[in-house]
Amino acid sequence: MSHAVAITGIGVLSGFGIGTEPFWEGLVAGRSAIGALPGGPGRRGAVVPPIELRAFARTPAARRIDRVSLLTLAASRLALADAGLAPESFEPARTALALGSAFGNVAETVDFLDRLIARGAGNAFVFPNLVMNAPLSYASIELVIRGPSLMVTEQEATGEAAVLAGAELIAGGAADVCLAGAADELHAVLHDILRDGGALAAETPRPLDAAADGPCPGEGAALLVLEPMARARARGARVYARLVPHAGFGVPAPVHGWPQDPGPIADGLRSLVADADLVVAGASGAPARDRVEAAALARARGERRVPVTAPRGALGDFGSAGALGVAVAALAIANGIVPPTTGLLGTPRAGLDVVGGGARRQPIGAAVVDGLARGGICRPVRLEAA
Amino acid sequence: MPAAVAITGLGAITGLGGDVAALATGLREGRCAIARLTAFPYRGRCDLAAQVPDAEAGSHGDRLPPATERRLSHADRMALAAATEACRDAGLDAPSRCTAAVYVGATTGGMRETEEAYRRFRGGQDARFRLSRLLGTPLSTAATVVSQALGLFGPRSTLSTACSSSALALAAAAEAVAGGRAPVALAIGTDQLCRVTYAGFDALQALDPSPCRPFDRERMGLSLGEGAAALVVENVDHARARGARLRALLLGHGSSNDAHHVTAPHPDGAGARVALEAALAAARVPPAAVDYVNAHGSGTRQNDAVEVGVLRTVFGARLGRVAVSSSKSQVGHCLGAAGAIEALITVIALEQGFLPPTVNLRHPEPTWDDLDLVATAGRRAPIAVAVSSSYGFGGHNVTLVLARPDAL
Repeated sequence: MSHAVAITGIGVLSGFGIGTEPFWEGLVAGRSAIGALPGGPGRRGAVVPPIELRAFARTPAARRIDRVSLLTLAASRLALADAGLAPESFEPARTALALGSAFGNVAETVDFLDRLIARGAGNAFVFPNLVMNAPLSYASIELVIRGPSLMVTEQEATGEAAVLAGAELIAGGAADVCLAGAADELHAVLHDILRDGGALAAETPRPLDAAADGPCPGEGAALLVLEPMARARARGARVYARLVPHAGFGVPAPVHGWPQDPGPIADGLRSLVADADLVVAGASGAPARDRVEAAALARARGERRVPVTAPRGALGDFGSAGALGVAVAALAIANGIVPPTTGLLGTPRAGLDVVGGGARRQPIGAAVVDGLARGGICRPVRLEAA
Repeated sequence: MPAAVAITGLGAITGLGGDVAALATGLREGRCAIARLTAFPYRGRCDLAAQVPDAEAGSHGDRLPPATERRLSHADRMALAAATEACRDAGLDAPSRCTAAVYVGATTGGMRETEEAYRRFRGGQDARFRLSRLLGTPLSTAATVVSQALGLFGPRSTLSTACSSSALALAAAAEAVAGGRAPVALAIGTDQLCRVTYAGFDALQALDPSPCRPFDRERMGLSLGEGAAALVVENVDHARARGARLRALLLGHGSSNDAHHVTAPHPDGAGARVALEAALAAARVPPAAVDYVNAHGSGTRQNDAVEVGVLRTVFGARLGRVAVSSSKSQVGHCLGAAGAIEALITVIALEQGFLPPTVNLRHPEPTWDDLDLVATAGRRAPIAVAVSSSYGFGGHNVTLVLARPDAL
């Protein structure tokens, strides 16, 4: 037996601020969340404003929480409030966590290594936070969740992978409620490695524009509340959209790079995209990525013109951005609005119908977040109007 | 609940040797792979580890471009070596590999190489931190290396829940084939020793200055190890239809979350107990049918006491007739790889009718003298059903129930 999966809550922290409202308003207005980073000129990125710990954490354990875990916890609480669910109402064993992070706790790993290099010793207080599943640990303690839980990490498709893992838990009947989503932080060291490696845009990132010269880094978190559709309807919850489980697939690609042949990606996406009214692309302005993604989408959609939007232009590029992409798709379906892609100058790649300039109002019956990552990972997420 | 799935291929690279045969020999001989740490210079309270020499992880230039091969981390090389052996063992040809899924459990990826690049950058030996040195850092790289080198293009996912990571990967692989998402799935655990984990566990005073002694009254902590294991999983009918040898069955799995503490297990073992009971229920196996428990058995004072308490609760008066041992005494605690390595060891135990030992266990806790801890040396015993448990930082617990194929 398989349950239909409902999205009943959304919690987002992004460069636009803390909360889903500033996120959606910023995107629909066509603004960019990218600004100057602290720590010297020349660093640009989309960063989440400081988060008040006490607004989101209740237990003594959280006094040592790291930033990625706090981003996850804050987005979880926002999503639960949005869904009208109090953590106290959970049955702990029937509540699940499907979380993700591409790079995990970068800030404290850098601190830990600096101390190790300088003094030859590790820091016992910081070490427990360095495991990739620290957000899982803090969220489970704070929210008292004891059901199935997992932490995935899938490069640029981490957000999509986490959401899909959560969808599987709900569809398979393993839980009544699942918090699913992902978080990543932007750290100066990470920014500088990307910059020095020539991997960043000189100025504005221009996703899906043939003139793009690179992405701009960002950070953020998005968590969704997933429930069986019947349960959501029975409690009168607002349902943003239905989430369609998908196992994902792999395509030939260089281990450390983007696939070169769009054919196998198009083959895998075709049945999902064929009748979709919107594609939320992962395109970031990185030429190698955007080129193959645009070509694959053009082949997968066939003769139909499917509107495409690429929120990494406004939100910055990070591994978990796809979780925010799923939030974009859900909000687009619920509101009948497609937010525009920022930075678009000239002709979109591969003749795609990229929504630029202003937001587009249209009914959306189905939307696909394409979920591509380097190394040939494909984790597409399809959402349908409920 | 999905039906039992078959395990049809095994691959392993551990401190006991570069393949499954070497591991099986090491288990039989009761060897301990824990020795002086040489993977990187380190001065602390402890200087022991169960290592896999670089040469043993092999070069893979025949299947990957030279520039890619050079950038593989030790963890990636070990994963590929184990996966290659497992696919060969299962007799998977190129067409059946093409639709196969890959589920990897890992905790540190290419951290050792990243640490070295970072140290050179901070020390001024390198003017900048090269992006190319960071490419092997992400945990998902091992899954991608295996997928691209062996041509596995089904679903692919990397799970990271600390020391239960690859037990969870094996559970995910079983669900994927049982749920029809892939005809065959490869479950892999891989982790390499690195400074962050070594210095971290040392700072927590969790490392035993002697080779670890799980369940010993003088135990002082764990010994870190490294390695990789790969298990080919498929539906029983699928395996039989293609004439594959069923090496074992994965009857069921259970997982839980303590929601208690970032590092310490729940004092009552509440989460560990839930995982064990859920796994037995999913497997439709009563506790009385279990012959052997390959314990988490990390060798820390807290873990072993909590774990014995859980076993006592679940198996009751029958516990004395269930053999319990910890393979970490031989291959070290391989963190993200531990779940897959220990599940694989459990398969060997079922297949060969051999109880692997808890070596270094010379002074069992007096209050545990009713337990059969398979101290010092392994022994022959016909076992049909076995359990393997993995408990991780963050309170994440996974238990697997495995059986001989004739248990169906």
